[in-house]
Amino acid sequence: MSAVELARAYKKQIDEKDGGIHAYLEVFADIEAQAGAADEAIARGEKGALLGIPLALKDNILIKGRRVSAASKILEGYVATYDATVTRKLKDAGAVLLGRTNMDEFAHGSSTENSAFGPTKNPHDETRVPGGSSGGSAAAVAAHMALGALGTDTGGSVREPASFCGLVGLKPTYGAVSRFGLIAMGSSLDQAGPLTHTVADTELIFNVIRGKDPLDSTSVDTAMYKKRGGAKKIGVPRHLLTSGVDAGILEEFEKALAVLAAKGYEIVDIELPSAGLALAIYYVVMPAEVSSNLARFDGVRYGLSRKGATQWEDYAKTRGEGFGGEARRRIMLGTYVLSSGYYDAYYHKAIQARAALSAEVAQALEMVDIIATPSTPTVAPKLGEHTADPLAMYLLDIFTVTANLTGNPALTVPIGTVIKEKIPLPVGLQCTAAHGDETNLFAVGKALE
Amino acid sequence: MISKEEVQNLAGLARLELSEEEVTALQKDISNILEYVGQVSAVSTGEAGQEVGGTYNVLRADTPRGEEDPLHNTREQLLEALPKREGDYNVVRKIIQKDE
Repeated sequence: MSAVELARAYKKQIDEKDGGIHAYLEVFADIEAQAGAADEAIARGEKGALLGIPLALKDNILIKGRRVSAASKILEGYVATYDATVTRKLKDAGAVLLGRTNMDEFAHGSSTENSAFGPTKNPHDETRVPGGSSGGSAAAVAAHMALGALGTDTGGSVREPASFCGLVGLKPTYGAVSRFGLIAMGSSLDQAGPLTHTVADTELIFNVIRGKDPLDSTSVDTAMYKKRGGAKKIGVPRHLLTSGVDAGILEEFEKALAVLAAKGYEIVDIELPSAGLALAIYYVVMPAEVSSNLARFDGVRYGLSRKGATQWEDYAKTRGEGFGGEARRRIMLGTYVLSSGYYDAYYHKAIQARAALSAEVAQALEMVDIIATPSTPTVAPKLGEHTADPLAMYLLDIFTVTANLTGNPALTVPIGTVIKEKIPLPVGLQCTAAHGDETNLFAVGKALE
Repeated sequence: MISKEEVQNLAGLARLELSEEEVTALQKDISNILEYVGQVSAVSTGEAGQEVGGTYNVLRADTPRGEEDPLHNTREQLLEALPKREGDYNVVRKIIQKDE
């Protein structure tokens, strides 16, 4: 099969399916030309890890010369002036870029309902959300409208939608993948990662996009981390599973642990006393970083620009109209926790608790090689189920935020389904490993396939 | 519950124009979220965690970007994105007023 034939097959699937699912904000017009170039490269005998492979990119990843909006009205008309490092690496490996996928505005959300351009539907049940914020990427791959996709993960935004859509999703070690050219949300938390059908595909894409980058000073050479042997011991923090987790998910989780035990892994109980605080820590640190990162959208240099009677009004009108409700809520919250008088009680305490949590996870990973939990406490909610109650929406990330706070890599793999209203809905298991130890995540992930 | 005035003050600090209804809604939302995240205030952590992350002061040489740099030659595209452009200038509002 040629790259052009493959690209046509995916384009046909997009034409048939995406009207209902709305995974894409834009499908590129030059897919066939890109695939044709890949075929020519193949004919010349060139090699590329992803030569001719059709992938989709979340709409907060810059592709030179193409629109990028972070699913926000405030970036109206904006065209990227350069490639993100991950984009350049995918292009260099020969990937065919199909389009940019829908997301919660500025990656703020767990359902893709916060997109300024309308929600994406879950291909397993179109009355349900695909998860978020990388919901468009997850739905595109799940509905075979892309072979794989990139998302970004600040508190679970790759892993949660991957889990809801029955996919593999990776949040790499913080710093393993360059953030240059991603539209920043929480700079100490953000990482880009793949969503695919198999662990091998995720591993392949991760190996293409990883690497220290002079353009991202927080990127690291992961070779600096201690090399670890093959994983043998898997720790389960059962004290986190005593309430709030769907019974069907727990059942699938125990079955998956039994599979791992049968394959020779030792399953042990571990304690992470601060992990119950992770979501609270996250909802202080993340909005603080969001309010700082979103300060740049002022209508002065690019994007939406509204005029009032004064400069102050120019800013307030541009930002009031340009940002959606959830972005405004997080900016307000971040402004609150960073304001003098509240800084000590919230932000300062949160970064201290974050350090304590990191130390706890590091200590646990001295005793075990992998920490396993369910990826999410529930299966994909119905569209609109949580939109009236932000806190209920935030709780969907209860198991995923820890890895962002501590910088550890984490992988979700599909392990089964739970039937809701006669429809089987995917369930994921999340593995967390030591910094730089994606290798063991892939090994355990493959053992579950 | 945080007051209407506090919400309006925050909106001012954040440069956000909010409708009356949204101010009311945010009073409730922010209060609920603060109550939840308030758990962190109870944590006794001593002096730990003043720093996050393992990298410090990463600097680069002060030299022009070479051709291999993705930001090389992007000047025109950056100017192109300006909401109001005159030649190579960004037209912005006058912020310094004459003394009266």
